[in-house]
Amino acid sequence: MNDLEIIGIIKDGLKEKALDIQNPAARRIFFRTDIAHLREAARFLKEKLGCDYLATISGVDKGENFEIIYHFANQFACINLRTLTLRSLPHIPSICPEIPGAVLYERELQDMFGMVVDGIPDPRPLVLPDDWPANNFPLRKDWKFERPPEKIPGGK
Amino acid sequence: MEFKVPIGPQHPALKEPISLRMTFEGEVIKHADVRLGYNHRGMEKLAEEKTFIQNLYLTERICGICSHSHTTCFAQGVEKLMEIEAPKRGLYIRTLTAELERVHSHLLWLGVAGHEAGFDTFFMYTWRDREVVMDILETLSGNRVHYAINTIGGVRRDIDEVQRKKILDSLDLLIKRTNYYTDIGVNEPTFVARIAGVGKLPRETGIALCAVGPTIRASGVAQDVRKDDPYAVYSELPFDVCTADSCDVLGRVVVRVKELLESYKMIEYLLKNLPTGPISVKAPRKAKENEVVSRYEAPRGENMHYIKSNGSDKPERLKVRAPTLANYPATLEMLKDGFIADIPLIFAAIDPCICCAERVVQMVDGRNGEEKIVTLAELRRYSIDYYKKNPIRKEAEWPF
Repeated sequence: MNDLEIIGIIKDGLKEKALDIQNPAARRIFFRTDIAHLREAARFLKEKLGCDYLATISGVDKGENFEIIYHFANQFACINLRTLTLRSLPHIPSICPEIPGAVLYERELQDMFGMVVDGIPDPRPLVLPDDWPANNFPLRKDWKFERPPEKIPGGK
Repeated sequence: MEFKVPIGPQHPALKEPISLRMTFEGEVIKHADVRLGYNHRGMEKLAEEKTFIQNLYLTERICGICSHSHTTCFAQGVEKLMEIEAPKRGLYIRTLTAELERVHSHLLWLGVAGHEAGFDTFFMYTWRDREVVMDILETLSGNRVHYAINTIGGVRRDIDEVQRKKILDSLDLLIKRTNYYTDIGVNEPTFVARIAGVGKLPRETGIALCAVGPTIRASGVAQDVRKDDPYAVYSELPFDVCTADSCDVLGRVVVRVKELLESYKMIEYLLKNLPTGPISVKAPRKAKENEVVSRYEAPRGENMHYIKSNGSDKPERLKVRAPTLANYPATLEMLKDGFIADIPLIFAAIDPCICCAERVVQMVDGRNGEEKIVTLAELRRYSIDYYKKNPIRKEAEWPF
């Protein structure tokens, strides 16, 4: 199966739900879908294209929106499914019913970007400490870490 | 009756900090849970403030054992963003280092597996032979751990005839020793009895939980980025994807020993067919606005970097997914219905690299974000005061 055949299957199967299909390099396919069709698209990739393997989920802070990219892969290509969610209402559906291995990446999104993953089987924090202050999401662009000034004991 | 036992974050069986929370019924594990976050360094956030070339040195330090994996993954992604192509000789040297790194990592892991299985002779043998690879890497790059051989646009050090001959000579010894390990791994009855049937990961579960690398290959899935999505010069190299069908720790040992032999084959091919020419091209400082997904088969499995550029000399976003993180859900599944004594063995069998898996958060100390230096005397005084104020509670609870 080459890239063109994969794009053909995506176009036939998802029709108007698959937007901006791009093929920037060999074995790399990007397309966008609305957040409402996210789970359907994930199920389609799994069942029709054999993408059982979700490599990871990347979040990108784009100002008013967050972009979430689901990096799927089968043995022929890496298929990247992107979707947008509002920064003011960052809800995304969990794709764990389709891909059980997605849970750690969804928990990471919750920690790092403050997104709310609806229906996630395990919503506990993953990487941030238990006493991390609320509403501090490190990978948002407006979050800055300021190191407190160093004090040398006994110094001037 | 059920018992809850925390394993880690500091535990003799674990070489790096991670907390496993186990629920036992008698000796049998009923539920396993993992808590990450003891090794955070905030690298993804930091990467957004550094230039591409500075980030190369940052990614090198994601992990000590697979340092070359992360830089190669990053460098080949940035090369695509900058629309340059590394010359052939550079790619050959890059791949050579990658395969030597795989050899050193797998030998290290074999030793750890032997040690966790209580077979310390095996551990000492493999680690002695690993020194041969470490010496090769040192002659090649000048460093034993952080090779720093990659640069954006190629590699930093060329290889000469003397080095080439030295590596080829050392390979004979390594091949001989690895064949001996194959013999032990398959025929030594006590070793096989200890690892066979331990940590079962059925093929379907492994696929569903998105396991990667030797862990999934030992469950009979021929998934290898080097074959599926060849980068560098892997499309020219003769090698087979190694799999095993036993789905247990024995399978994972077999897969890694077989991969060692495949790596020797590749190293020999790379050295005998090393093309002439330059080793690197000059890279521009900035990259146009674009994005790239870079995949790499690290010794532990697939390593993925998602890099987004914004037209400046710094990345807009760098997302790193190290293979160990992908293997955690599968490990929890493997641990279920196992025995307490099998925990270190099963956990070691995914070749965990916790510093790889955790690099996400900037470090803020304590509850209020302040950093403070406390002398031992102050700490002692604080602890005495604390317990005077807070008498020991009679009905102390487990912190779960």
